[in-house]
Parts: sequence; C-alpha cells; structure tokens
Amino acid sequence: MIVRCAAGACGAEGANDIGGFVSGLVLALAVNGLVWGLIIALIALGLSIIFGLLDIINVAHGDFFMLGTVVALVLATSTGSYWLALLLVPIIGFVVGLVLERVIIRPTIRQASLTIVTTFGLSMMLQEGVRATYGAQPRRMAAPIEGTIPLFGIDYDVYRIFAAAFAALCLIAFFVFLTRTKLGTWIRAVRHDPETATALGVPVARICAITFGLGTAMALLGGAIAAPITTVEFRTGVDILPFCFMAVIIGGLGNLQGTVAAALLLAVMEGLVTSVTDPTIARIVSLGFMSAALLVRPNGLFSGATR
Amino acid sequence: MTAKIISRAALILTFVALAAVPMVVPMLSSPFWIDIIAEILIWSLLAASVNLLLGYVGLLSFGQALYFGVGMYGAALSVIHWGAGFWGGLAIGIVAAMLMAAVAGSVAVRLTWHYFAIITVVFSLILYFAAMSAKPLTGGDDGISFSAPQIFSLGDLKLSLADQSVQYYTILLVVAGIYALFSIVVRSPLGVRFVAVRENNRRAALIGINVYLTRYVAFILAGALAGASGALFAFFGRYASASYMFYHVSGEAVVWAIVGGAGSLLGPLFGTGLLIVLREIISAYWEHYLFVVGALTILVVMFAPRGLAGLWSDALQLLFVSKGTARSDNLVDTEARAQPKPATNVTRGG
Repeated sequence: MIVRCAAGACGAEGANDIGGFVSGLVLALAVNGLVWGLIIALIALGLSIIFGLLDIINVAHGDFFMLGTVVALVLATSTGSYWLALLLVPIIGFVVGLVLERVIIRPTIRQASLTIVTTFGLSMMLQEGVRATYGAQPRRMAAPIEGTIPLFGIDYDVYRIFAAAFAALCLIAFFVFLTRTKLGTWIRAVRHDPETATALGVPVARICAITFGLGTAMALLGGAIAAPITTVEFRTGVDILPFCFMAVIIGGLGNLQGTVAAALLLAVMEGLVTSVTDPTIARIVSLGFMSAALLVRPNGLFSGATR
Repeated sequence: MTAKIISRAALILTFVALAAVPMVVPMLSSPFWIDIIAEILIWSLLAASVNLLLGYVGLLSFGQALYFGVGMYGAALSVIHWGAGFWGGLAIGIVAAMLMAAVAGSVAVRLTWHYFAIITVVFSLILYFAAMSAKPLTGGDDGISFSAPQIFSLGDLKLSLADQSVQYYTILLVVAGIYALFSIVVRSPLGVRFVAVRENNRRAALIGINVYLTRYVAFILAGALAGASGALFAFFGRYASASYMFYHVSGEAVVWAIVGGAGSLLGPLFGTGLLIVLREIISAYWEHYLFVVGALTILVVMFAPRGLAGLWSDALQLLFVSKGTARSDNLVDTEARAQPKPATNVTRGG
C-alpha cells in the first residue's frame, strides 16, 4: 500500500521567482490545505450528521467519497459534461444512501456496536465492487476549468479555487437547510430527543433514512468536487476516512460546526507541516494531535458550541 | 449433561483433526492446504485477541493489527540482528507486543465504546505510518525477509521450519498452548471480572472491581495474543512487512471474531477458518472475493449476530429440547458457561 496523502503537495507547480519561492511554497501549501479542508469538511459533516442522529460509526464513509469520484469520472466521460456529473452525483448518492439505510443499517441499528462491523463489510463490498467494474487502474480527470492564476508568486489552478468556493457554498447551504427549513428542524429535533420528536408527530424512521441519505450524498458530492484534483481509484476512501474521523473527533462527536472548524484546522496544519517535512510525518502529527484532543477534551475542542 | 459431552467431544475431535492434517491432507488433496490450515491457526490468534476484548470485556478494538505488526517485527528483527532462535524470537515478539499494548492501553482503556474503537485505530495508524517511513529498519511496504532459524537441535536431531510437517506441528503446538492458557484465564477469577466489567461496569466498580485495571490487563493480554500471532506469521512467511499493521487487517480480525462468535473460546478459530477457506476457494475462480466476504459479514451480523458459535449452541439446544431427554436446567447452565452472552449486548459504558 502506498501512502497517498490527500492534503499533500500537489498543486504548487512552477515558482515565478526564486526569491519568493520558499514563502510562496509555504503559502501555497497552506492554501492547498484550505482547499482540501473545505472539501473534507463537507465529507466529514456527512459522517458527523450520520453519527449524531443514528449513533453509528460509518466506516464505509470514505468509500462513499471514492464512489463519488468514480461516478463523477464515469458520468463526465460518458455525458461529456463535468457539470452534469456534479449535479447528478449527489442525487445518486442520496438514493444510494436511502437504499443502504433500509437494507443494511436499519436491520442492524439495534446492535449499535456492530454497525462498525456492518459498515466495514459494506466498505469491502464497495471497494471490491468498484474494482471489479471500474478496474484497479488509478486514473486522473481533466480539470473542467483550465488555467492558472498567480497566487503568492505561484501559478495556482483556477479549478482548485472553484472547488474550495463550491464546497464552502455547499457547507453554508447545508447549515441554512438545517436551521431554516421544516425538514432541517425535524432533523435537529430527532438529534436532540427522538422520543419527544416521535410524540410530537415527527416521522423519526423517515428522518433517520433521509439523514443517512444526506450524509451519503455529501460524501459523494465531496468526491465529485475532488475528482479533478485527486487520483480516481478504488482505494482513495482508505486515505480520506482517517482524516474525516480526525475532524469529527477533534470537532466533537456530533458537533457539526466543530467538525467543519476541525477539518479546516487539520488540513491547513497538515499543509503547513508538509512544507517542512514529508506528508507521512504530517499525518503522524495530526494523528498525535487528535489523540491528545481525544484524551484531554473527549467532547471535542469546540464543546462549547451548540449541537 | 449431554450437550456438554457433545461440546467436549467436538473439541477433542477438532484437535485430533488438526493433529492429523499433515498425514491426511496429502492423501485427499494438495499439500498446499497444510500451509493454509497453518495460516488459519496463526490468524485465529489475532481474531482471538479481538474476541478477548470484544467478547469478554466488551471493548471493540479496531487496532489489533498494530500488536500483530509489533510481534512480527519483534520476531523478525531479533532473528536478523540478534541471531535469536525460534523460541527466542517468539518470546521477544510477544513481549514487544505486550509492551506496546501496555503503552497504548494506558490511555486507550480510559475510553469506551466509540472512543475506544477510534483511539485504537488512531494508535495503529500512527505506528503504521511511522513503520512505513522508517524504511531502513522495517523495510516499509516491501518488508524485510530472513531465513528461518532452527526450532530445536539435540545432537543429530535437528528440527527446522523448512520441513512442512515440523513447521505445522510447531505452529499447532504453540497455538493450542495459547488457547489452553486463554481458556484458563477466562475461567479464572480474572475472567469473571472481565465478564462483570462487560456486563455492567458501574456495578462491577461498586462491588470493588477496578474497572480500568481489569480492562488494562485484558488489553495487554490481547496484545500478547496478537503479538504471538504476528511472531508466528513472521516465522511462517519468513518476513515482516509494515503493510500488515494497516487497519484493514484489524478489521478483518474483527470480522473473523464476529463470524465465529465473539464471547466463545474457539468461535474465532472457526470464523477465521471459514473465511480463509472461502478466500482460497473463491479467489481461485474470482479475484474479488472480498466482495463476498463483505456481504457475508453483513449477513452474519443481520441474521446470526452470535456467529458460528451461536449457531452451534442453538443447534445443540434445539436437538436436546426436541428430544426432550435433557434436563433443561442443566442445559441452560451448560449454555451459560459455554456461551457467555453475545457481544451484541455490549453495554455502552459511561
């Protein structure tokens, strides 16, 4: 297994002048971290809402991301339009999530400790399923927006800026949905107190299904956004998953805003550490940071924030 | 009584069958299967280490591959650098894994349930990445290989792992010995404390059991099991690789333990056996056997959450209840002892 670091140095090509190179590189890696941080925040948020509502640890979440990259690539090449793929992937993700919730999650939800095992089984099925159909060959996808813009003395890909902005937009849209719509209010109500929500006529089972669908859709959407800036193969989920877990833990299990903040913090930190050493050390640093956070503040760094 | 006798007979039969493998298998099929069965015996110890934590203490560890890897490198490096023999390498591997578990466990056992599962993965990932980068020592992904040392030499009598039968019997001896120790531990007062902590840690604390210490001891013993598995695997394959420390290996061990039946002594052995035999058979026809393993895992959790061991005890019960010969109170008693409660009822500790 090769360590493929998600937040690694992959966007800083071509320095304009040698003088500004070092500081430019550091800044570019930090920006890279921010771009990945926003995408990962979207995926980790999906993990976080599933955890918060259904109380399960979804080990297959990284593979949902991988499925998003693969489906985006397949759709974009078959329809010829990346934008159509970007629109369709989250819808497919939502449907996949609904089906999986009904078939796999709901029958095993009562054995909460075993859902880690069922989702691990699901993860194996997704990886091998993609490997059997799409193939084991890693592929790259052409960026739908070409060109670079100068950023801190380095030519930076325009698509990465777009990806960051789009991910940020999706994050904002999700929080607006959660606080301003009836469905969002119901989701928050079920998170808060399922018994009372049932008594007040909220269809709890349906809300759980919708939440799992939404969480899955967010992971696939993250994959569709990230497809042009990462390799597309059946194993990418394996790298993303620990990172998402770190964000969810450091942000506090079930704390949605905390998850987003932690994802950004971790990604920028990994970006900066990568500028002085190699990505593997950067990953070890974040994992160490996470264990410290888990032991010192088991409810997350931002436990003051509202659930 | 009858159910107990049948269970004991099955245990003896299993051991006899395993002991007869090098003589019987070449008559029926390719000697290649001897190595597969040896591999099952070795991996089953890793499943047993998951089982000790999940089935007896109620902690789901997703990081046992770390101690497997430490045991593996402990054995391999001591043979390469210190010229250790088989038994020395095995002992060093086990002790190294126990030390690693003592360090990681001192913080991990303070957490329960989700947090415990996550922190064990995190520790295994940290060490996995570290082992991957420390190429000069560990060989990283490619690993390091060594030649197998002698097991035993007395005058002209020299036993070496190069002989397939000797290797098989050595592995069987070590694995059976470890299972015997495991069975003594879970029947001892310590084993009773394990189960008390699993069932209700607050009540256990109230009757004077030190919950942390009990979990800590279990964690170190589980580390020893995983370490023994890793050390044996190093001798079996004559190499050690950091890729075995990845969390997928831990996940597979959890699957083996659950399919076999967490909370039963030998369940994980049969779970490991079933899945590895399936792998060998399916992968001959279809390379994507992991797809089948994943589906099987989900089906077992859905329809037989107590695994093969649960099916076995249900079958025994059905057999004797339908005959109406067995005294039910005795049967229940046997059941309760042979089958501590399934892991599905693991309480969420506070």
